[in-house]
Amino acid sequence: MNVGLEHYLVVSALLFALGLLGVITRRNLIVMYMSLELMLNSANLALVSFSRFNDNLNGQVMVFFIITVAAAEVAVGLALIVALYRKRQSAHVEDLTSMKL
Amino acid sequence: MSLEISVVALGLIVLLADLWLPAERKRMLGYSAAAALLLLFLNTFTSHCSCSLAEGPDNMTSAGMFIQDGLAVFFKRFFLLAAVLVLVMAVEFSDRIGAGVSEYYSLIVFALAGMLFAASANDFVMLFAAIELITITFYVLTSFQRGRVRSLEAGVKYLILGALSSAFMVYGIALIWGTTGKFNFQELAQVAGKFAANRVFLFGVVFFLVGLGFKIAAFPFQMWTPDVYEGAPTPTTAFLAVGSKATGFVLLLRFLFTAIPDVAMHWNKLLIIVSGITILYGNLCALPQRNLKRILGYSSIAHAGYVLLGVAALTTAGESAVLYYLAGYLFTVLAAFAVIALVMRHLNSEDLAGLAGLNQRSPLLAATLTLAMVSLAGIPPLAGFFGKFLLLKAVIEQGPANHGYYCLAFTALAGVIISLYYYFGVIRAIYWSKETPDLSPIEISKPMKMAVCFCMAGMFYLGLFPGALINYAAQVVKSLK
Repeated sequence: MNVGLEHYLVVSALLFALGLLGVITRRNLIVMYMSLELMLNSANLALVSFSRFNDNLNGQVMVFFIITVAAAEVAVGLALIVALYRKRQSAHVEDLTSMKL
Repeated sequence: MSLEISVVALGLIVLLADLWLPAERKRMLGYSAAAALLLLFLNTFTSHCSCSLAEGPDNMTSAGMFIQDGLAVFFKRFFLLAAVLVLVMAVEFSDRIGAGVSEYYSLIVFALAGMLFAASANDFVMLFAAIELITITFYVLTSFQRGRVRSLEAGVKYLILGALSSAFMVYGIALIWGTTGKFNFQELAQVAGKFAANRVFLFGVVFFLVGLGFKIAAFPFQMWTPDVYEGAPTPTTAFLAVGSKATGFVLLLRFLFTAIPDVAMHWNKLLIIVSGITILYGNLCALPQRNLKRILGYSSIAHAGYVLLGVAALTTAGESAVLYYLAGYLFTVLAAFAVIALVMRHLNSEDLAGLAGLNQRSPLLAATLTLAMVSLAGIPPLAGFFGKFLLLKAVIEQGPANHGYYCLAFTALAGVIISLYYYFGVIRAIYWSKETPDLSPIEISKPMKMAVCFCMAGMFYLGLFPGALINYAAQVVKSLK
């Protein structure tokens, strides 16, 4: 079987959809955050495969930017979740209810 | 580019100065940073920045990732001014932040650097890097009061939804780039027309707009706004309301009118619907609120809807009305948050009851908050009125071509009438509140007094003498094409 651009794009779309599903259905902040990283990586996969099949390296440069930004985001995000855990002893979305109406 | 480099350097200097300064002088570091930014702001009127306004559009076809056109300069002045006022507010607020005040100042400066880069972004890579610089700094700024659960909660909510919107934006960029092969906006504009029927490309555009919609808090990506506005420290909320929202709009204008003008032409229906629903949602949800910051959060959703009126009109008149409205919004919202930061300093929550007797405690602050509410509601002769007038005029001018615009103008007017109720609820709480538990006068430091008076002067100036800014805005939006 010849693996073409479409195959990669379908995989990347599936990864994106799985990530989105995870963010929507899971209630643990860490798991939600993992799903978000999955979504970012699905975009990376799309960029790299477009780049490979269109013979244009610009996309791969963009991937480096995304990886760097994702790393910075994880550093801040996990720190935040840990700080919240210390305060609340829980990393569940249901407990984020101090602000209403 | 020199402006951005100076701002980043200033952020680093503030961080380093923190190491050597004695603790009692760290507070003043904020004033020094504000003064430095004020100098940079004044410098944009004298140096090379202003002459780039005169350059014609030919100069821009060769622009790379970074573009210094009239629009960029306009928004750079806007962001610098906002940052100066926010820093002054942050100094006033510093005793509530606790540890790491200097980091708070420097993070504001770094967020400002991101906004300046975003104003000049002419390329998806630059745009992404700038927007993430802003967003990630704001995660930290939002949750800076680590001892307060609300601040942390607001930070986590902003983090999850912000990262979600970045993921959408990045995937959109990947699809747009994959189909067209262009990152640069001008190059994309030349080929975008050919892809108007390409599904993958259109998916990319929609995903990208989802990411921007989150920044400007447009329906249906507005759910983070009230919680984050309420939980975040007040200076952060102010910067979020003014800076982050304006960044979203400058990028939206550039994307729709520079990068994909041929495609955007057919999207007026979508913009009309989003704008109308955003206005109604923001105004209706604000009605039952009792927390002042939450009211302003919902009102900022409604105002995103009003500004979208100008974008939906898809004309140069609409675009310049957007710029005018944002300028008026800057003075109005910063004045309101400055008062909140001062009055609610010693209270745990920002309930409306905390405003009781404000006219006796500090007539200046009472007058400022009243004027800010009147301007937000859009009553003459303040800036908010004239901005709304220009936006509605731009929309109604388009009415004969598409009757949806008449419905949109009607919706906006209905929104204004609904909003009168809660804005006047705030004014009622100041002047006609029954309970007056605390009548101690409020001390205001001199820089803060100057900032508040400056905001008031700005509101009046833009409302009474709109001519100069209208001409400037009309000249600036020419650089979009």
